Amino acid sequence: MSTATNIVTAVRIHGVDKSFGPAESAVMALKQVEFEARQGELIMLVGPSGCGKTTLLSVIAGTLRADAGTTEVFGQRLDGLTQEELTAFRRKNLGFVFQSFNLIPTLSVRENVMVPLLIQGTSYAEAAAKAGEILAKVGLEGREDGSATALSGGQQQRVAIARALVHEPPLLICDEPTSALDKDTGGKVMEMIRELSHSPKRCVIVVTHDQRIFRFADRIAEMEDGRISRVVDDPRQLETPSY
Amino acid sequence: MYRLALNMLFGDRAKLAMLLCGLSFSALLMAQQSSVFFGIMSWTYTPMVNIRASIWVSDSEVEQVNDAKPMRDTDVSRVRSVDGVSWAAPLHSSIMQARMPNGKFKLISLVGIDSDTFAGAPATLTQGNIEDLRLPNTVLVDEWGANLLGHVVIQPDGSEKIIPLQIGDTFELNDTEARIVGICRVKRAFTGGPFVYTTYDRAKAYTANVRRALSYVLVEPREGVSIDDLRLRIERETGLKAWTSDTDLWHWKEGSLARSTFWWFWKNTGIPFSFGTAVLLGLFVGIAISGQTFYSFVLENLKYFAAIKAMGASMGVLARMLLLQALTAGLLGFGLGVGMAQAIGRGMIEKGMPPFVMYPQILWATFVLVLGISFTSALIGMVKVARVDPASVFRG
Ligand SMILES: Nc1ncnc2c1ncn2[C@@H]1O[C@H](COP(=O)(O)OP(=O)(O)O)[C@@H](O)[C@H]1O
Ligand SMILES: [Mg+2]
Repeated sequence: MSTATNIVTAVRIHGVDKSFGPAESAVMALKQVEFEARQGELIMLVGPSGCGKTTLLSVIAGTLRADAGTTEVFGQRLDGLTQEELTAFRRKNLGFVFQSFNLIPTLSVRENVMVPLLIQGTSYAEAAAKAGEILAKVGLEGREDGSATALSGGQQQRVAIARALVHEPPLLICDEPTSALDKDTGGKVMEMIRELSHSPKRCVIVVTHDQRIFRFADRIAEMEDGRISRVVDDPRQLETPSY
Repeated sequence: MYRLALNMLFGDRAKLAMLLCGLSFSALLMAQQSSVFFGIMSWTYTPMVNIRASIWVSDSEVEQVNDAKPMRDTDVSRVRSVDGVSWAAPLHSSIMQARMPNGKFKLISLVGIDSDTFAGAPATLTQGNIEDLRLPNTVLVDEWGANLLGHVVIQPDGSEKIIPLQIGDTFELNDTEARIVGICRVKRAFTGGPFVYTTYDRAKAYTANVRRALSYVLVEPREGVSIDDLRLRIERETGLKAWTSDTDLWHWKEGSLARSTFWWFWKNTGIPFSFGTAVLLGLFVGIAISGQTFYSFVLENLKYFAAIKAMGASMGVLARMLLLQALTAGLLGFGLGVGMAQAIGRGMIEKGMPPFVMYPQILWATFVLVLGISFTSALIGMVKVARVDPASVFRG
């Protein structure tokens, strides 16, 4: 039987520039970036601090507009969309995992997970049920009604993963998901992201500079000073990165 | 999402408590101060409430009920002769000193009513009989006055107890005996003094030094004659001023003496100013505390609002969340504040001091102002949330 698979592009970035600040002292965060991510893969975006990883992720997520170039996600050009269209696009297609968890402290664990569903207009009862299911998958059964901020860092990030996936978005975006966690916990969280999010229809982009989690990637794109310097299939090809 | 918005609000008890303190305090201040204001203002036209007659005729210079200008006794018959008058009765009203049995002087408000018709007599006598006013040197005293004029006895345990005046007790008005034959229940007045009712002729005797004792002529129109027509006819034919006696603040009529009194006090005293200041203060305190607290609530939750925004919540949803949070806090604050104002008011009404009238209009005005404060806070929050960059969620 043939093992050949169709490669479907999920994200395509072409010639994207992004600078911050006034023209005379502008910081060029992205310089003519070329980047692709595929459906069904977990791709990591790695590189030293300040090289533009978060900026690129923001452009892909549709929370930041590029100065030039094209951004295409699932065949949809983001650069022509209005603010409202971008918001609707994010609502439908994106799941987020943040470095600092961003769980709402005054809400319960379950309610935090319900947010993406409620934003989509799902009823409270249905959202609560779905949140319960996915919380069981991340191993937080029994903690649903407690406060999110009463949990440990690793547990909070698991709540965030549940929240990012509860509405089954085709694109999952994680910015430094392990850098606020200790080594062991970080590894476990990454394992969970890999396990729960991996699906032929989904594209997962993880920004990190944590080398110990490189092994969870299908491919790794390395950034340097606002550019993608190379893309590799095996972390061992990135011998002794400088970060 | 709106249920979550409420849970976000109620999740932070300390902030919520602050928010409710600010809102309820301003609601309290506004409702309570305006109620006392209207209470005091309603005292200014107390005679209009206590003394019932359809038309009051006064000297043409009169502007407010407490400041009657004396008229001639013959004015009663002049009014009587106006076509459409069923009856017209004299009324005397003055403030004078009463000498109590212990030798002390107290200010009282003397009301002299027509002894034939008893027109203007208090509606409720809790003790005694109005007919007894026809006996020599007799008066009625109001309940509150009976207490105020009562004598103090030191009890065995050293505490003071006031024995109110009773039927049969006497005091002196202008060296003439006044014997109590009845206790009546009337509304209290701005001018303070307890009410002492007697007949018109005896009031003249008590105020021997006053040449003209006639303060008002009370008039009732004949069956089928309209009050307004008669009022104008009396004014035309006698050159005196004729007033209607309605006392409903929100619906008073053309020619209402109560209304004229209300506005006289409004223009000529510092009462509206001082209470207006208190109400404004309540408004400012409310805006300051509640606006500030809600603002810091939004500020503290800003990164979460940004995250929700990044996850795809439209500005419309976020705005409605903020509005719901602010209005909920506003409603609770209004309820608490007005509840407290009511409780304080109850206490005041029991003590009779100061007067307290919480019109539904006051509740509405307070409601509108408190919700206005909340709404303003929500708007400020919305500006803040609208400006937050969803991309900021990726930055620590
Ligand atoms: N909002 C901003 N305003 C100004 N400069 C910014 C902003 N965001 C990022 N930068 C700059 O752009 C560059 C890339 O930043 P970032 O994408 O956060 O890097 P990374 O995530 O790889 O650490 C940095 O020099 C940073 O200082
Ligand atoms: Mg970064």
